[in-house]
Amino acid sequence: MKIKLGELFLICVKIGALLLGGGYVIVPLLVNEFSKKRNWLTREEIIDFYAIGQCIPGIIAPNTIMLAGYKLRGKTGAFCALLGLIFAPFLAILTLASFIGILLQSIIMNDIFWGVNVAIIILIILTVKEVWSVSIVDKITFLLFVSAFLMCIFGISPALIIVLAIMFGIVRSKMPKGGAK
Amino acid sequence: MIFLLLCFEFAKIGLFSFGGGYATLPFLYHMSEIYNWFSLNELSQMLAISSITPGPVGLNVATFAGFKTAGFLGSLCATMSIMLPSFIFVVIISKMLKKFKDSPILTSVMYALRPATAAMLAAVAFRLFFESVVKFHSLSDFYFKNIDIKALLLLFVLFIISLKIKKDPLIFLALGAIAGLLLHFNHILFIIPHA
Repeated sequence: MKIKLGELFLICVKIGALLLGGGYVIVPLLVNEFSKKRNWLTREEIIDFYAIGQCIPGIIAPNTIMLAGYKLRGKTGAFCALLGLIFAPFLAILTLASFIGILLQSIIMNDIFWGVNVAIIILIILTVKEVWSVSIVDKITFLLFVSAFLMCIFGISPALIIVLAIMFGIVRSKMPKGGAK
Repeated sequence: MIFLLLCFEFAKIGLFSFGGGYATLPFLYHMSEIYNWFSLNELSQMLAISSITPGPVGLNVATFAGFKTAGFLGSLCATMSIMLPSFIFVVIISKMLKKFKDSPILTSVMYALRPATAAMLAAVAFRLFFESVVKFHSLSDFYFKNIDIKALLLLFVLFIISLKIKKDPLIFLALGAIAGLLLHFNHILFIIPHA
């Protein structure tokens, strides 16, 4: 099955337009479009891309969608996905650049984002629920979850947490029991 | 030439900032100090706009700053060059992933990475909850009156909805926006006499 670049681009435009309130919203959006609606990727793959997206330089959301695009259609796919993702935000910024003042004072705009911010909490909770079923599979992964959660709450940099998790994975695979899994 | 300089500076940001969009901010502040492209004050305004338009904040600020500096072409240069290093890394990493797909090390690394990623997402939800609903930053400033009851109520309702219906993220974003307008209806009424 070869995925059409045009279709990939358009879906990424949609994702880019809905990407409100921080990069992590990319996960529910990707899962919904690439996994649930189209079966192009599995949920696990998307979670992996998000994890890897945090350890390469740059901004997480575009990194994640480029990794997904690469998986689907190689370099061209990654480029297409990136172009799609930045399309709507780019236009929005160019349009708004001209009337900053009015917008900054707009109480209505603040009210809308007040509600959107609450909705985002729900989106993330739903994502965590889904990710939970594929990632917390035994006691070790549960402990990893709890410790990573606490580290994150206490302000340890995500990059460091990811690096620690990678090191844990490598060490575990070197141990006789872990390698046998 | 300004475009080359823009490309170079933004590619540098793309290469050295890790993590969320806010990681690019220290670089941009530095940029406003050494070049006369935009002032600190303008940068704060750009940040405010960038965080309420769709898209990652870091990328939006780059687009904005490029536009301020050199118009449309400037914004194109800034956006493309901030993403260039990541693009190269994505290609390299993806090739490595393909090559080592079935290696036990990679399987084990992914086994450890997934719960860590889930935990970091959960931590984001946790932090957002305290920022936008409970408005509680440290133990010393915890007051019940700080709790945004409307936000708590909206959160609860949205949660119930999420249990009942098939969930397209768009629905929740739209419901949130509508609720934001309706629950603060008094703002709309008050704007006109105060203007």
